Amino acid sequence: MAGASATGVLSQLSLLEVKARSRKTQPQQQSRVKELKAKVEALRAQRDQLKAEIETHKHLQKLRASLDKQSTNEEEEEEEMEQDSEHSQLLQLMARHTQLEDLLYAHHTIGGYDVIKTRQGKGVCVSLATAYDGVFLETYNLEIDLKPTLRISRHNVPPFIPLNSLAEQNNLQTNIRTFLDTLSRHLNAFAARKQQLELVKELHKSVQVMESNVLCSILVLMFNVPKQKTAVLCTLDYSDHTRSLPTRVHFESEDEKLPDSPEWKKNCSLLKETPVHKALITMKKMGNIV
Amino acid sequence: MDDSTKRLLQRLIRRIPAQTLRTTLEKWGRLTAAQQRSMDFTQPKWALSEKLLAICEENGLTAKHITELEMTNVIDNPNQGMWYAFQLMDPEDDANSIELTQFKEQFKSHLRELVRPVSIKIKKHTDEAVWIRIAWGDSFSRPNHLKPTYVVHHLQTPYVFVTSLTSKQKPLLSQALVLSARYQAIKDANLSGRKLTAIRDLLMRKYQQVFPTMYPSPLGERNQVVSNPHIEKEQAEPAANRLQMACEAFGDGTLPQLQTVVYKLETKFRDHTNKTMTEREEPFSCVVKFASTNLLESLRHCASSGIASTPVTPLLSSILQKGRNYFVITDNGSGPSTQTRQPQT
Amino acid sequence: MALLKPFSKLPCLNTANILLVESEEQFQQSLADTLVEETAFTVNVRLAKSLPLPMENEESRPRIDLVVFIINLTSELSFQSAEVSLKNLDPGYFLGKVCFMVTNARNASVPTERLDAVRKLAASLHCPMLFAEDQTPDGVTNATERLLTILKVAAGFVPMATALYLSNLTRRTAPPDIEQPSFD
Repeated sequence: MAGASATGVLSQLSLLEVKARSRKTQPQQQSRVKELKAKVEALRAQRDQLKAEIETHKHLQKLRASLDKQSTNEEEEEEEMEQDSEHSQLLQLMARHTQLEDLLYAHHTIGGYDVIKTRQGKGVCVSLATAYDGVFLETYNLEIDLKPTLRISRHNVPPFIPLNSLAEQNNLQTNIRTFLDTLSRHLNAFAARKQQLELVKELHKSVQVMESNVLCSILVLMFNVPKQKTAVLCTLDYSDHTRSLPTRVHFESEDEKLPDSPEWKKNCSLLKETPVHKALITMKKMGNIV
Repeated sequence: MDDSTKRLLQRLIRRIPAQTLRTTLEKWGRLTAAQQRSMDFTQPKWALSEKLLAICEENGLTAKHITELEMTNVIDNPNQGMWYAFQLMDPEDDANSIELTQFKEQFKSHLRELVRPVSIKIKKHTDEAVWIRIAWGDSFSRPNHLKPTYVVHHLQTPYVFVTSLTSKQKPLLSQALVLSARYQAIKDANLSGRKLTAIRDLLMRKYQQVFPTMYPSPLGERNQVVSNPHIEKEQAEPAANRLQMACEAFGDGTLPQLQTVVYKLETKFRDHTNKTMTEREEPFSCVVKFASTNLLESLRHCASSGIASTPVTPLLSSILQKGRNYFVITDNGSGPSTQTRQPQT
Repeated sequence: MALLKPFSKLPCLNTANILLVESEEQFQQSLADTLVEETAFTVNVRLAKSLPLPMENEESRPRIDLVVFIINLTSELSFQSAEVSLKNLDPGYFLGKVCFMVTNARNASVPTERLDAVRKLAASLHCPMLFAEDQTPDGVTNATERLLTILKVAAGFVPMATALYLSNLTRRTAPPDIEQPSFD
């Protein structure tokens, strides 16, 4: 209370209000036991619920297995299903639902596109997912106006993918499917190349990335050959932008005979056929590079 | 070292921020470790530049080396001065396979053919960008290192970013760029800003865009503030819609920092109460300029908070979609504009 | 375009419901967070940007005991939006169940005419007008306290007092010298 005269009356009042407030909350602490008991009750209920869920899940899996079997050989009639009325019917629906979901996912992974209507049907939004080696990478989207003609109104495809010329070449107006397929190939290949480059940087610290570009269409690497202690400059040229493997591999070294040696010829074809980060692992194992 | 070189170095030291001076000098790599250690960075700038001058004399460094230091500094602090974007048009077939060494040689030879003497320096930055520094001279004078032009280009992309270029030098640079990047033409992209990174991200679409999807988006999830069950928003749905619309138009997350947007109106004046203005033959020209430290952020907030109506007018949303911040609006599609829309009231 | 009515629903036991209307949706959130901390009775807060309220919430919406219009004096839009929203309230609310809360009144950039306009509005509707500080936590707590006091009466928790009675004491009266700057 010493500072009371220094501060104003109003702030003093709010101080008192705060004090009164805190006194109000004190008695709550006594009900701690009650609180804990309620918590125990809630946890018990949760346990029971989880148990029940596990039970239904098991049931579902059984149903699902039979459902999958059914779709392969359709003559088999449903027999055991008729056991307990509506409950099983619901379960069956759920099983069917999970089956459809899995199908949808499968469709998605083999290159299906997600399309939804926008602006009350005046446009659509297509999303193209990219993936490499089982890892989902970026998703690209295109918003397409439907009227008067098909027109890409908005997209997040990077500028170095020639979207407009692809649209022209594949005749977007009449054949949107091929256009999307080509675009998806371009995007997937780009994502794959980018991911490969990242993996090289991450896995192979001894290999120096001398040059690369935004499209990841040119990659210049420098290896060290262990015995001769010479450096080899390796140029990977991905001139086909729809592929994730190089079309041309070229070695350059101070030791002029080296690129022509059978060992390095083999490396050359290895780099052409396998993704670069994997090829480098093999080359390391063979002892060709450090 | 002559006087002009000395002046160049002094000016440069003044420009480099004091806190990054040490690292910039380290990156430059022209000083020996002992010389580096002998520099006392707590000293004022003028004393430092005196000291550095002495070291440069001792090492026999020339203007060429000083420009290297300048380039290092500009690459690290690109957000100075106005940057203008240009767009290369109609790529040749081999435009996509051009590589750095080829580009370097071509650019240098093409520009040297056009103007002499000229000093060109090309450096590749870690983020795949090619930085070009050009000090222009003419037949009577040596290259002026005090007013260099900087050009940033990402190979395989159609965009070029330029700062401090005069109108006299523009055709020269354009020609050299078009020829060496294997394109057929170049045009003004109508985009400029103080932050190179911002206009680059905008054109390269490196900001986070929002698209309508059937899946629950992180946007909606983020906005579900875990709130008290006793608090309920009456108009939560329209608010979420507005936010979605705003983010679809302007992007999500941190947006590229643009400072201005200019709309040049060359339209007819329409107002029934004002006959004299409406009946005038010549177009009513006026310029509308929006300015802010982060314009896109402001516009997004306007749309999401309901101050501006949604869906966002195409005039505003085309800043990001078309990647430009200078628009000419005319009435009937004649003239140099790409925007043919009536002015909004 | 249904009018919001004060007595169309039954009250709940020991529960008071308050509706905060603010076009900027900034201050209402922090205010709501402190309002629900009240322990003596349950406070339900409904937040709205403007009136009328959407029809689909009609069912779940409890009886609103007090409507608060938050007006940011630095923005003309905030005032205009409140003015428009007022038309969607049942006249029954103006018998002590509406109040105005003004923020940023001390801001130097506020034209005095706008403050006068808000005053006139409050006076013409016989509503109390509160000033609040929205930037500091202390300001928010104080504003909450004031609102709770009115809310308690409006919800009928105070024996022998009604909203109409309280508003007779607290309502804004038109100052005779509105044309001149007044310092009351």
